Amino acid sequence: MASLAAALAVVTPTRMELLKLKQRVNLAQRGHDLLREKMDALIIEFFEILRRIGAARAGALKQLSLAYRALSTCSAIMGTIETLQASKEARRELEVEISTRHVMGIVVPTLEVEKVERSALDRGYSLHTTSSVLDEASREFEKALGLLIKLAELEESGRAIAKELERTKRRVNALEYILIPRLRAALKFISMRLDEMERENFTRLKRIKAMLEAET
Amino acid sequence: MSFKVAVIGDVDTATGFALAGASYVHVHIKKEETFAKLGELLAREDFGLVLITHRIAEELGAEFGWMLRTKKLLPVVLRIPDKTGYMPKVDELYELIKRTVGAKIVVRAEDG
Amino acid sequence: MSVDRVLKFELSKLNVHLPMRRISLKEAMMSARPQVAARDGSTHIFKREELDLLAKIVPEAEWEMLRLPILIALDPKLGRGAARINGEAEVRAINQILEKESAGEELLIYRPEVAVIRRKLPTTTQYLFVPG
Repeated sequence: MASLAAALAVVTPTRMELLKLKQRVNLAQRGHDLLREKMDALIIEFFEILRRIGAARAGALKQLSLAYRALSTCSAIMGTIETLQASKEARRELEVEISTRHVMGIVVPTLEVEKVERSALDRGYSLHTTSSVLDEASREFEKALGLLIKLAELEESGRAIAKELERTKRRVNALEYILIPRLRAALKFISMRLDEMERENFTRLKRIKAMLEAET
Repeated sequence: MSFKVAVIGDVDTATGFALAGASYVHVHIKKEETFAKLGELLAREDFGLVLITHRIAEELGAEFGWMLRTKKLLPVVLRIPDKTGYMPKVDELYELIKRTVGAKIVVRAEDG
Repeated sequence: MSVDRVLKFELSKLNVHLPMRRISLKEAMMSARPQVAARDGSTHIFKREELDLLAKIVPEAEWEMLRLPILIALDPKLGRGAARINGEAEVRAINQILEKESAGEELLIYRPEVAVIRRKLPTTTQYLFVPG
């Protein structure tokens, strides 16, 4: 934005300019109020998603630690090498459905899995050479993965909302503390100049009138 | 659209998620190697989610953060604990809240 | 002035997530994939569990009257922290959720209540920004 002084030097204090400025102040004020409503709404959304993230994290992390424990049991009973071998034989084709949702102009991803938990048969490792502890470990990790996928969706959404909230907050503040005060100051200045000019004009007219009357 | 899942972790993390069906797992040994792998995953169009352990993410340092900030929309990257449950001292989410809303407001969350 | 242009742009984006046409609760309940098309071309999907909740609290005779998504109108004229719900069926549904008595075609609710509504009906409600 050009410096206010320079701008004022160029703008002639006319009624026209005053009117245009008034319109700009109104637009800025309306814009500020609306963006502030958006900011308030985003704050509500932000806290709600934080709440959900907190819950999702607790659940996912608990399940993950169960999974690690089951895996360690499996390695202990079946053997580390055998467990590793089984993991190489397992079918590794999990697909996550990802699409985007729009929340108040923000793009957030949705992540969904149709079926993450499988039967021992479906997993792909040989059932003859493996033991049920492997099935346990696999199932616990499948459950964990399902929860983590949901968590990933929530955390990404949280980040997207936070970013938009920050942007909106900056706009609101720029309007409230910089633009609108400057516009109002300019408005006041021009208004005062116009009044001044009118007074000068009025005084001049009075003098002319007095001169004319003196001649008659 | 359907996407694959990748995991970057230690041997146990990789094994566990392979058993769960993750398409690709990388066992972290050397920093440069892991960086390269991560960069590759972030550039690909067929992966939708990358899980990486906190421990490794921390080891990768500031450049990891930069990669996250400059990556495209997908894949989503999620940090998870490894079997030791290690979590960094600085909770990224808490920092995000503080930065976005200001720590004071966190306590009065239900207020207007 | 470029600032004005940025402002106009931001304001034009405010309601772009809203649907071109809302659908009734009846339509949504009967559809296999209840959704609406938004102004920006995206598709907005209603979650089944929210529809089921609404179906439970709204008498079936009113399903045709209730339009989705329910709009939470944010109008600066109402003052900060206040929002408005319009529509008899919509008002009744919202009051049910908030466990309040009510009547009428218009309802004013306040920020904590907005939070409750958004928590219970995240996909079946949307914000509407009312320019002055």
